[in-house]
Amino acid sequence: MDAIRENLPLLLQGIGTTVALTVLGYAFALLLGTVLAVARVSPIPPLRGAATVYVEIFRNIPLLSLLILIAFGLPDVGLLLPYFWCGVLGLTLSSAAFVCENVRSGINTVPVGHAEAARSIGLGFFGTLRFVVLPQAFRSMVQPLVNVFIGTVIGSALCSAIAVQEVTWVTQTLNIRYAQAVLMFMIAGAVYLILSLGGAALGGAIERAVAPGGRNRSSGRAALDVTAGAQA
Amino acid sequence: MTPTTFRPGRRAVVAAAAAALPLLGLAACSSDTGAGPDLGGGGEDEGDGDSLPQADALASGPVADESAIAASAWATAIKEKDQLVRGGTVANQVFSLASTTGDMPTGFDAGITQLLAKYILGEGGEKKVEYIDTTVETRETMVQNGTVDCVIATYSITPERLEVINFAGPYYLSGTAIQVRAEDKGSISGPEDLTGLKLVTQANSTGIQAIEENVTDPADVQTLPDNESCVAALKQGRADAYVLDQGVLLGNSAADPDVVVVGEPFVDDPYGIGLSKDQPDALDFCNTFLQEIIDSGSWESLWTATVGEVIDGDAPEPPVPGELPV
Repeated sequence: MDAIRENLPLLLQGIGTTVALTVLGYAFALLLGTVLAVARVSPIPPLRGAATVYVEIFRNIPLLSLLILIAFGLPDVGLLLPYFWCGVLGLTLSSAAFVCENVRSGINTVPVGHAEAARSIGLGFFGTLRFVVLPQAFRSMVQPLVNVFIGTVIGSALCSAIAVQEVTWVTQTLNIRYAQAVLMFMIAGAVYLILSLGGAALGGAIERAVAPGGRNRSSGRAALDVTAGAQA
Repeated sequence: MTPTTFRPGRRAVVAAAAAALPLLGLAACSSDTGAGPDLGGGGEDEGDGDSLPQADALASGPVADESAIAASAWATAIKEKDQLVRGGTVANQVFSLASTTGDMPTGFDAGITQLLAKYILGEGGEKKVEYIDTTVETRETMVQNGTVDCVIATYSITPERLEVINFAGPYYLSGTAIQVRAEDKGSISGPEDLTGLKLVTQANSTGIQAIEENVTDPADVQTLPDNESCVAALKQGRADAYVLDQGVLLGNSAADPDVVVVGEPFVDDPYGIGLSKDQPDALDFCNTFLQEIIDSGSWESLWTATVGEVIDGDAPEPPVPGELPV
């Protein structure tokens, strides 16, 4: 335990880096993934095709290979990013492919009739998405997106392979010095568990907030009030 | 929007993706540091073991007396299952590298492992080794819980590690050295020149501690999982100097003229055979084994065929087994 006490600042720094990697990677992945999903359901075939190719490539390339490619392949074509941003870029590219598929399947849960109704009242492609389809689609996407978040948390550990000093890297480094593998990796495991559970809890809260049941309860109450008013 | 009924030809997409991937791969390959040093295998291994660089060393390897094995419960157990389980890596250019032709792994550690197997199991025993992959994270644990009989993996003997496991040896005295880009060789000659520079070392090495103890205020210390990444980081300017075991660094210089080793090793790095504390008899047995391969000339022959390929000069004086440096 001395190993932990003496190196607490280093560990906390590692936890901070892990959180930063995860949050940045996931935030950018949400943006990029949503754009890709919109491209995949757009009426423009080349755009659809390009987004599909992107998803098939980045969904099927192991994250570790992708990170090493970004860190040590890109400099050969003249793009030398700091390790941390290589990690963020890798996580973003990979998670965005999964986000895209989740958003797309969420969009597909919205009945066709709703989209047709939106078109018939004169909304364009983006209007239909923005006001009718995406708000409804979002409800069914919360849990799958939490899964992508957990994937991003766990994927951030691979960034230790490109010298990003996150929790796994710190535990590896301390283990070299103290030869206490089991203890060190239990601590690292606990950090990832807390992050993932935190993400899942937040996701659960969001899901409850946007659940149709929540709306219906409030609108149900409103209906009761109306009837009460009618009786009065 | 509505689920699209028209899907751009799925096959075309898969084909395009499949065609794009090798291109990505090519980009990665171009950062390759070239082939490793030729360890004398000739590349034409027939799988018979005679064409291995360490073949001569193995042929001269001693075999233990029945009485010596009977006196050690650890060796008796290995003899009974007719197999030595070694923890280590098979991805180290100079010390232990898997064969691409289905032959035995080559290198110094691989040779020590095969000599130990022959010593316990008799003639032909060098082939009866199960190579289990251990990483720096799992080495002590796998020794302690008996997953492997021993760990032979450029395993530096340190006081912290001695608290949890036993080490036979040292069987090899390495030293931590410095590698720089060829254009920097005039300005860097020792650890005192590394202040303020970006350093890189392998994650599974004692280079980290060597830097901590010998370099004042480096700009930052990067750790990467393998030698290839470290060389790439050095060549691409992510790091100014690569600190690691001299043998490995010399292998890089042999393979790639863009990087050179400067100065002399500045930290001693003794390698030992990791053994469980629950099997105290294994320690004496392995030290006796090491002494016997030194006496028989196998150690020197093995050094010449492996490490000697990347280090100039004659084989050094072998270390004295049992004389732990810490």
